[in-house]
Amino acid sequence: MKASTKLRLLKLAILFPFVALAAVIGGVLFQAQGGFAALRVPHGDATPLATDAATLAHGEYLARLGNCVTCHTTRGGTPYAGGRAFRSGYGTLYSTNLTPDATTGLGDWSLAEFRHAMREGASREGLLYPAFPFDHFKRLTDEDLAALFAFLRQLPAVDAPRTPNALDFPASSRRLLLAWRMLFHRPHPFTPEPSQSEAWNRGRYLVDGLGHCAMCHSGRGAMASLPADRYLAGGRILGQNWYAPPLDTNSLARWSVDDLAGYLRHGVSTHGAAYGPMAEVIYVSLRHLRKDDAAAMATYLKTVPAAPAPVMSATERDLRQRHAAGRVVGTAGRRLYAEHCESCHGDDGRGRGLDYPPLAGNPHVVADDAVNSIRLVLAGGIPPTTPGNPRPHSMPPFSQVLDDAQIADVLNHVRSSWGNEATAIAPGDVRALRGSTLD
Amino acid sequence: MSSLPPLSRIASVLVGIAIVVTTLAMPGRARADDADAGMRERLAGCAVCHGDRGQGAHGAEYFPHLAGKPAGYLLEQMRAFRDGKRHYAQMIYLMQYLDDAWLAEVADWYAAQPPIVKQAESGTPMREVDVARARQLVFDGDPAKGLTACSACHGRALAGLEPGVPALVGLPTEYIIAQFGGWITGVRQSTVPDCMASIARKLEPTDLRIVATWLSRQAAPDGERPAAAGTRALPLACGDLPVEAAR
Repeated sequence: MKASTKLRLLKLAILFPFVALAAVIGGVLFQAQGGFAALRVPHGDATPLATDAATLAHGEYLARLGNCVTCHTTRGGTPYAGGRAFRSGYGTLYSTNLTPDATTGLGDWSLAEFRHAMREGASREGLLYPAFPFDHFKRLTDEDLAALFAFLRQLPAVDAPRTPNALDFPASSRRLLLAWRMLFHRPHPFTPEPSQSEAWNRGRYLVDGLGHCAMCHSGRGAMASLPADRYLAGGRILGQNWYAPPLDTNSLARWSVDDLAGYLRHGVSTHGAAYGPMAEVIYVSLRHLRKDDAAAMATYLKTVPAAPAPVMSATERDLRQRHAAGRVVGTAGRRLYAEHCESCHGDDGRGRGLDYPPLAGNPHVVADDAVNSIRLVLAGGIPPTTPGNPRPHSMPPFSQVLDDAQIADVLNHVRSSWGNEATAIAPGDVRALRGSTLD
Repeated sequence: MSSLPPLSRIASVLVGIAIVVTTLAMPGRARADDADAGMRERLAGCAVCHGDRGQGAHGAEYFPHLAGKPAGYLLEQMRAFRDGKRHYAQMIYLMQYLDDAWLAEVADWYAAQPPIVKQAESGTPMREVDVARARQLVFDGDPAKGLTACSACHGRALAGLEPGVPALVGLPTEYIIAQFGGWITGVRQSTVPDCMASIARKLEPTDLRIVATWLSRQAAPDGERPAAAGTRALPLACGDLPVEAAR
């Protein structure tokens, strides 16, 4: 044997364990994301679609709970015809046409393909971007999926060709989504919890399934993933300048099940009102929620264990204390509050019934991420009209009344009064959000 | 009772009647006052830019007044912001989750407020030739350019026409120019046929500025309300106008 051949064999022998290990890890991860079954998209399916009124009404209710129309419609556009833009650090993604048009919509789809897309996140297009919450829709029962599809298939067909996505590499490649899935997608079957009540199980089915609450209310991990340990732990909504508060047993402690169920359907409560993306969710989706389903969601949400608080070093704790709003607030903030805020929110920060939300202990107000309070002061806000609150009160925009420093002053007063102990915000934080009225 | 002198008896009856009438009338008036106060409170978010009763606000002169404008026009504009036909971020943001029933009530309330009263403004004097051109465009139009007179739809007093044509007096130059810009670029749209968009696209830039400046300086001396629906035949087909049918 020649020396060079020997060397080559030696190299192979050294490399082999690494290659084998990579293959094994790859195989395990591939299985973990759903294996080949997830990638095998079924086509033909002769299952006839239900057309009876009861199934269609059920399908419509499910479509509303899933809030399909919000993502799959442009402002003022034909409902379900797609085209809404979703911007993130990866570029812009456009939603697709769900109407039964044969070439641009779901007209040519079978129930089996719909079910596969909803559960596995793969269709004839290839792998679907996880902006589509298939990880949640996986939990839907066969009956619910069939009713939902039957409802979508009887919508008026609209010829609405898709807007091509404008994503940056590597997000632009659907094939490379497999790598993302291998790293982050961990489908697990939905199994009822027999030790919990029927309402609790129904609530979890709605929250984790159609409701896909975690898409906004969970903390995001690497590459926009949703790590299990940040489940409903709150955080900045992907691609939006809005903060979604945590939904767990601690953060919802002062809400009774009735309070929370009422808020979901009416958009207002004595603990807070819905603005921004939650106003949209309620206006389009949750105001149609049946009373028992609202109570079920509230029942479940109130039992979600709080995610562990991030561990802070002594230095971080010290820094945080030195940045407490209470240490920077002066008389200006108190004066501005008395002049502009007190008549609605009260000198005790407790608001007024369903009309004006409390600021004391309000999770949006005391969150480290002050984006919601800053935006509400800048642009004002009106909770959505709902059957339970058809004539909403409104918060005035202060963008032209107060300057950045004044808004920081008044918010630092709010963030350090009535037991609130939040960090201080600076005029620059306010300046950064001027103009982001619709983001 | 019979021992009382007749005059006192009449007086006590009168006092009684007065008390009954007052108690009956008070709740009605109080209710109306409450309803009015309730609306003003609910619409606090609008007042910063548009004034407490939609008459405009100090320090926010760019923004249009709402008081006394036709309810149909106001409703159509709020729906346009909500539904992506008119683009102004602050208004879209506030209107986007409000249903037709509430927007109609808001429109009716602002429409019922007294129209603004405003003195003529002089500002930098306009050249006589520009005033003449403005008056020509406003009251006669420019048929050679396919421009209908403003007054043909908005009225000789420029106070508007129910249910969908707004008053042109009482608006600042900047706002009027911005609307023309919006129609030209499609940032402001009405239901097709979009008559204001087609007019805006035919206006020369110099004419546009002259008309906007002249309009903004006209007096609204006696708070004239929009003319009643059907009192004028419109010379143009405008998609938004049969608003009542759309409600």
